[in-house]
Amino acid sequence: MNATTKRVAMIVWVLSWPLVAMAPSGAQTTRGGADIAVVVHPDTPVSDLSLSDVRKVLLGERQYWSSKLPVVLLIRAPVARERDVVLRVIYQMSEAQFKQYWVAKIFRAEAASPPKIVYSNDMQYELVSAIPGAIAFMDARNVRPGLKVLRVDGYLPGDKEYPLR
Amino acid sequence: MVRASSILTVFLLAAGAVRAQSSPPADQAGEVRMLLERVQQLEKRVTELEARQASPQAATISAANEPSTQQLPAHQAAQAPAAAGPGPGQHQHETQEQQAATVQQMETHYPSLQIRGFGDVDFSATDQKGIPSGFNLGQLDLHLASALSHKVTYFGEITFNAQPTGYTVEVERNIIRYDYNDYFKLSFGRYHTPVGYWNTAFHHGAWLQTTISRPDMVRFGGTFIPVHFVGFLAEGNIPSGGAGLSYNVGVGNGRGSIISRPGDAGDINNNRAWVANVYSRPRALYGLQLGASVYRDKITLAGRDFREWISGAHIVWTKESPEFLAEFANVNHRAVLTDLSTNSQAFYVQLGYRLPWFERTVKPYYRFEYTHTPLSEQVFTNQDLVGSTLGVRYDITNYAAFKTEYRNFRRGIGEPRVNGWFAQTDFTF
Repeated sequence: MNATTKRVAMIVWVLSWPLVAMAPSGAQTTRGGADIAVVVHPDTPVSDLSLSDVRKVLLGERQYWSSKLPVVLLIRAPVARERDVVLRVIYQMSEAQFKQYWVAKIFRAEAASPPKIVYSNDMQYELVSAIPGAIAFMDARNVRPGLKVLRVDGYLPGDKEYPLR
Repeated sequence: MVRASSILTVFLLAAGAVRAQSSPPADQAGEVRMLLERVQQLEKRVTELEARQASPQAATISAANEPSTQQLPAHQAAQAPAAAGPGPGQHQHETQEQQAATVQQMETHYPSLQIRGFGDVDFSATDQKGIPSGFNLGQLDLHLASALSHKVTYFGEITFNAQPTGYTVEVERNIIRYDYNDYFKLSFGRYHTPVGYWNTAFHHGAWLQTTISRPDMVRFGGTFIPVHFVGFLAEGNIPSGGAGLSYNVGVGNGRGSIISRPGDAGDINNNRAWVANVYSRPRALYGLQLGASVYRDKITLAGRDFREWISGAHIVWTKESPEFLAEFANVNHRAVLTDLSTNSQAFYVQLGYRLPWFERTVKPYYRFEYTHTPLSEQVFTNQDLVGSTLGVRYDITNYAAFKTEYRNFRRGIGEPRVNGWFAQTDFTF
């Protein structure tokens, strides 16, 4: 490769950056729908988390509610709207990035297992109400008694400023 | 040049063929999509019906948050909804059994061994004299993770490396960790030394990293920083609010008699090495990580002792649009006998960007790296390097990628520049 070719390649590379920066990101699109409630087992010793705290839990950076109570992450299987909202608002990742994130997380010995996959809201309800430390994300209209709904940034689903929708 | 072009063409054709094979047949995919849409419609319909029957959303949530007057033990809680609902006795019993089975199935059972593999196949061609071009099998890497209880976890990593006369097997990591809580986790074993960022972020699976090659300062088999470490490590989060601080502190054997290797079979000089790493993931800037590390050891080389002091810093932006990684390390060696001290430095800056087109599968990248060792350096052989790497990563599926990169580097003053073209397919399974 001669010097001219190198220079041309470098110019093309540099010029491509502004185009790339202006392009819309697939992960940032907004969609309408009901609020997504953050629900935990009733004995979980939290009732209010900031969005960044929820993110820490979902990223596996916070793995214990208390020294005796580990976090058990539950997440809906692909295509569910709850999963879309969690990936878009909290993880800010695409489906592929989410999968790669958890492979890398386990590989770095930072977590022993990825979030457990649940296939329906009924299944979520059963698991959250039965497994201490469980946390899940469900359509606020499907929340039933027996679960604890967390405030996020001080807001509950239905509030105007609630961030998970 | 003609030969290189034909190889590239073959590579691209192979990429297309594999991609074509990875997609399910169109009619099957359509059927799956139709079924999923149907499931969604039904779920939506159920939700609507429930919403009609039930009170408004806010009331539902407040009812959910009311402390239950009939709080059930955890193992019975799953049965509660079915018990509360109406229905014939037999049906109700079956539902309860199903729910209990679901919960039991989803609970973690110990030990819960998970195995994941990583592999890569590489091609390289350079104009460096005496270095032949051709294919080579990279590392076959097996990673094991097993929760032994909710507080104790085992992690292991074994690699199989192609050699001219066969394969070598290496235990890369072998760790048992006890988690007290998020602030204190104690582990024992063989690690990747927590100095800087790359060495603990990417490990051996080439698929994990954006590029084909690792930066020279952290390359496997290299000596600039001790890649592996045998001993114990305490790690965890530091209560620090929005700063999001975490730490790793460890004590171990340090470098072995071959300084690229740790003292797996024992310390060679009865002197422990220690390492400390502090990093921040600020709450307000999701994706940013800043950190600083120090490493202290005594090296014994041909009967002479040297004090080693490594200090490093890193700043990374881990989101892929863009991805930015920068790391710096200074290695100080001081001869115990003569007190002569030398400093070697190395850094790299890497920039990548996952393009928004082609379903976000393409990620071009560039890396500049620099290593300097002074002529008076007593422990390292000359490691000088100035190099650039320009490449593209194409994720053919969520778990496999093709990468191709051009490298231009020079080792040492007066040495010729080397140009090379490299290609790799890497994957996890």
